[in-house]
Amino acid sequence: MPRKPKKHNHSMRHRLVTFSPFGRSKAMATRSRMATRGVEKHERQNKDLATSSLNGFKYNMKDKIQQSDSSDDEEFEGDVQADFVFFDPKLSDFHGVKVLLQTYLDNLQWDLSGFVDLILGQPTVGTVVKIENDEDDGVYSVVSALSLERYKASSCFLFCVFMDSKCVLELKDFLLKVCQDTDVLGKLKSLVGEHAQHVGLLVSQRVVNLPPQLLPPLYDGLFDEVGWATEDEPTKELRSSFRFKFYLIISKIYKHKNADQNRGTVKNGEESVIYNRPEDEIFFEVPSGMFSMLILCYQCANLTSIKCFCSLAHGHSVFAYMHSRLLLMRQLKNYRPMGLVMAVEACKISSFREQLHLLIDE
Amino acid sequence: MATRLQYENNCEVGVFSKLTNAYCLVAIGGSENFYSTFEAELADVIPVVKTSIAGTRIIGRLCAGNKKGLLLPHNTTDQELQHLRNSLPDSVVVQRIEERLSALGNCISCNDHVALTHPDLDKETEELIADVLGVEVFRQTVAGNIIVGSYCTFSNIGGLVHPHTSIEDLDELSTLLQVPLVAGTVNRGSDVIAAGLTVNDWTAFCGSDTTATELSVIESVFKLREAKPSALVDEMRKSLIDTYV
Repeated sequence: MPRKPKKHNHSMRHRLVTFSPFGRSKAMATRSRMATRGVEKHERQNKDLATSSLNGFKYNMKDKIQQSDSSDDEEFEGDVQADFVFFDPKLSDFHGVKVLLQTYLDNLQWDLSGFVDLILGQPTVGTVVKIENDEDDGVYSVVSALSLERYKASSCFLFCVFMDSKCVLELKDFLLKVCQDTDVLGKLKSLVGEHAQHVGLLVSQRVVNLPPQLLPPLYDGLFDEVGWATEDEPTKELRSSFRFKFYLIISKIYKHKNADQNRGTVKNGEESVIYNRPEDEIFFEVPSGMFSMLILCYQCANLTSIKCFCSLAHGHSVFAYMHSRLLLMRQLKNYRPMGLVMAVEACKISSFREQLHLLIDE
Repeated sequence: MATRLQYENNCEVGVFSKLTNAYCLVAIGGSENFYSTFEAELADVIPVVKTSIAGTRIIGRLCAGNKKGLLLPHNTTDQELQHLRNSLPDSVVVQRIEERLSALGNCISCNDHVALTHPDLDKETEELIADVLGVEVFRQTVAGNIIVGSYCTFSNIGGLVHPHTSIEDLDELSTLLQVPLVAGTVNRGSDVIAAGLTVNDWTAFCGSDTTATELSVIESVFKLREAKPSALVDEMRKSLIDTYV
């Protein structure tokens, strides 16, 4: 098939010939634009996989030139226009989602393909972010909420037999294994064990330079879908499986090497923790009160999993692109990458949504 | 028989390994599982060599070779070159070549008799390929893609090419290569064939995401079901021809 000539408004400069949309996205400079909620979210009924592509919600990004991160575009000659579209997860998104989840559990060898299948088999709850009219159909972000109870091996009789939840067992084992702290271990054990029917695993992965303006609608959409699923799902078991009381989040942060020492040798201006994602900061330490009832940090074995997003003291966000990675490496030399596991109570989610809007929309 | 395996959760086994009829190269790093799967299949027949190329693990995409030779990119270190010369059989000529397109595995796809190359390779490189690998070289594209080494893979028995290859292209390539070809996918619909699959005349290794359908296509086109190591088959053939006389 010969390459089609690129359309003018989607001309992407410096397009690398790489095998993954992830690599390609690193070459793309995305101009940060303000998301406009132009499209009304209508009430979702039970989704038919075949028509799910028609339910893509478009976020036209209007230009916001005063954004501080426009200075990162200096090395790229032009602007790149991108219309991000939100879709329900489909089975054809397998490869894109798998690439995004590659480092989800550090470098553990686990049934990642099975896990991706679980996410894609759940079109009612979950969103996949793509670019409109992208010939390569690349996946730029995925969010989903998986019920730990639904995917337990023993109760799989009702849901199709092929639903392989070996991955969920491996995930639970991993979490219990990395937990060094004994009192956190107790809480964690109960969350993944007896209380698993109330726990939802919040999966949220994206490419490094996805514009942050997409995050509030992405999360709002996810939590709305969870709410609708408790009413719209066909069977009683499915409906109750979405009644989450807790959300479990697995993420990565950078902790200052001196942060644990009480001598407080952290230099002025250096943060004790650097967050890869803005929502982690909200979940982790919110001045107005602890969001998370459980926080666990574990040593990250895979040191190369760097997602370049740093949040500074006043909550502004700075994006570091691949070409400024050297600068980032210098900044990060005093930091250790750590995995982060958090459990958040579901009742605090509306407050989280407001905080996220405040953080991003400023 | 085709074996499914992974390299550190990554199903692109053709990136981290290089399999020919005379030797097998495997990337260092990763778990021992990867290496031991190759060892279990191949240890008695051909040497399985752990190596890096240019300090990287993507050895399958950087080098190109067959039973007669191995071509390495210009950024291979001297230690790596020496290690490979020491570990591989003497019949294999190991050569480092100066070529601008250094991902030789992506640019060259070959078996023991024919090679398909990237249209932009230097003339000297083409001559070296013909010399070192003992093959006839054809500059070709596969389904409109110039990096032929990635989108097709073939052995002396059969070949698998990019799923969007037209019937005419398929016939043309099949005539050039003198082996039956089939257009298909690997690793659950991935069209980068050579990254997901590495094959020689009697065995194949593909990523664990490969579906049963894809696996059966691979086993049928490469005739792996009743396959034996070629050395043994050749010996049998010699004795058979004797009886015809």
